[in-house]
Amino acid sequence: MTSDVANSRLALIGLRLFYALLVVFLYAPILLLAIFSFNDNPTPAFPLDGLTFRWYQQFLSNQQLIGALRNSMVVATISSVIAVALGLAASFLLVRRRFVGKSAVSALVLSPLVIPYLVFGIALLILFSALDKFLTNTLGVYIGLGLHAVVVGHVVVSLPYTILTIVPRLERMSISLEEAARDLGAGPAETFRRVTLPLLVPSIVSSFLVAFTLSFDEFAIASFLTTRSLTWPVYLFAQLRFPVLLPQLIAVSVIVMALSIAVVVAAEVFRRQAERHLDFAPPA
Amino acid sequence: MTLFFILPVIIVAAYSFGVLKLFPTGTSSAFYDWKRLLTGQSIYLGLFWKSMRVSLIVSVTCVVLAYPVAYFLALGAKKRKYVLLLVIIAPFLTSYLLRVLAWKVILGDAGVINSFLFWTGLRAAEDPIQWLIYSQFTVMLVLAYVWIPFVALPIFVTLENLDHSLLEAAADLGASRWRTYLRVTLPLSLSGVLAAFVFVFIPTLGEFVTPLLVGGTRGYLYGNAISDLFTQGLDWQAGSVLSLFLLAVVAVLMAVFARFLQVRSVSA
Repeated sequence: MTSDVANSRLALIGLRLFYALLVVFLYAPILLLAIFSFNDNPTPAFPLDGLTFRWYQQFLSNQQLIGALRNSMVVATISSVIAVALGLAASFLLVRRRFVGKSAVSALVLSPLVIPYLVFGIALLILFSALDKFLTNTLGVYIGLGLHAVVVGHVVVSLPYTILTIVPRLERMSISLEEAARDLGAGPAETFRRVTLPLLVPSIVSSFLVAFTLSFDEFAIASFLTTRSLTWPVYLFAQLRFPVLLPQLIAVSVIVMALSIAVVVAAEVFRRQAERHLDFAPPA
Repeated sequence: MTLFFILPVIIVAAYSFGVLKLFPTGTSSAFYDWKRLLTGQSIYLGLFWKSMRVSLIVSVTCVVLAYPVAYFLALGAKKRKYVLLLVIIAPFLTSYLLRVLAWKVILGDAGVINSFLFWTGLRAAEDPIQWLIYSQFTVMLVLAYVWIPFVALPIFVTLENLDHSLLEAAADLGASRWRTYLRVTLPLSLSGVLAAFVFVFIPTLGEFVTPLLVGGTRGYLYGNAISDLFTQGLDWQAGSVLSLFLLAVVAVLMAVFARFLQVRSVSA
């Protein structure tokens, strides 16, 4: 029995109360927004005017909005697949190999964690503009900014998160399982496919989800790199100036928010179950 | 990684010294914008300190509010602590813009709070509480709101990994609960607190979206200046100078705090 303040009954009551208050503070604004998405009045203000679903119906027929959502889905899917693949490779390198400059490489791949996204977005903006100028001058090819640039940016910023998710799993995973597979005659490719990869699935799934949510919600970088096809956050931001659209935007956002919370919770539950399952596996 | 992370940063540096040029606008001399920034001839240095102050207040507020919760979850709560932690963190994984938008809707002149006050007759409709929106206070409130969930995590992890036998030893040696907390738990949790602090301080330093939405002119920050130079002023050279300066400050902060941050352990 540990004896810290946390074990005194009075302190515990206080802490519980504080926790509850913070949860209220965190969720009240989101809930308010959800309530107004069903309110029959284009301006979100009291008193409430009655229940409606028309904002939800309206956004379904708003082509631009649906297009922006689709763009974000595409960007998030592509960038997180690439980020997970690169993250997997980098994690293997960092955990299983010894090489000179390892800590420098690890610092490099993790550094996007702390770069202000504003600065990084601008850096990519200049890079792609310079590249374009170079290409048009030499080859006459013009690529321009756009969603591909956003993908590049999102891969870079989500890479550290995928690595931080995969590395701990890889470190806890016993290498002897793979050695056993090799002893039993499996080649390196087969060992990877039938032993290593299945063991890594939980962390791959959760790193994919982290990368996906990060990309889907990312505004700062995307705002500098999009041109005509907008991602969802960029579209949302641009439309906030028009009050007419506000209820529709709130409606979509409520759906997106509910979905992302559901996905996150599901992923966490899935990861925990998979971990528990693995922990009971007899040590090889 | 080198191609798309290091190279862009180098290019910003090149741009800031006028080595690279894509538009005819902007100044010609290599050090012109640097000199203006560092000697305080332009408004930017003042803006930078304002941003520093705002980030400092926001990060300290976040840590102070998140600490008791992390502490409660790590040491007080029993079985369901991970579920309770997830409840705190979940908002962080939802749309950032939307959480800012929620506050805009709540705090606006005709927003939820004001309209509620009009409705209940606590305040006349011509006289909304104006400081609720478009002020520095709003920016700080919203930023703190946005970042609290994220701050709870590193503090929780540190407290969770605390060696409990140390607490027992303190108790065996006759320390009271408060004394145990102050002399053992608190000092041992400081690395988590610092990590949390840095992880809020750095991103808020370059913040430009929240001030844009709820800050008005009084909430205009350094990040807005950078963003405007690129999107509206088209003075990319001055913008690069400001960006690189921000990056340098971040790098210095990271170097100072590096040993408290757990990202390091990955390479071990």
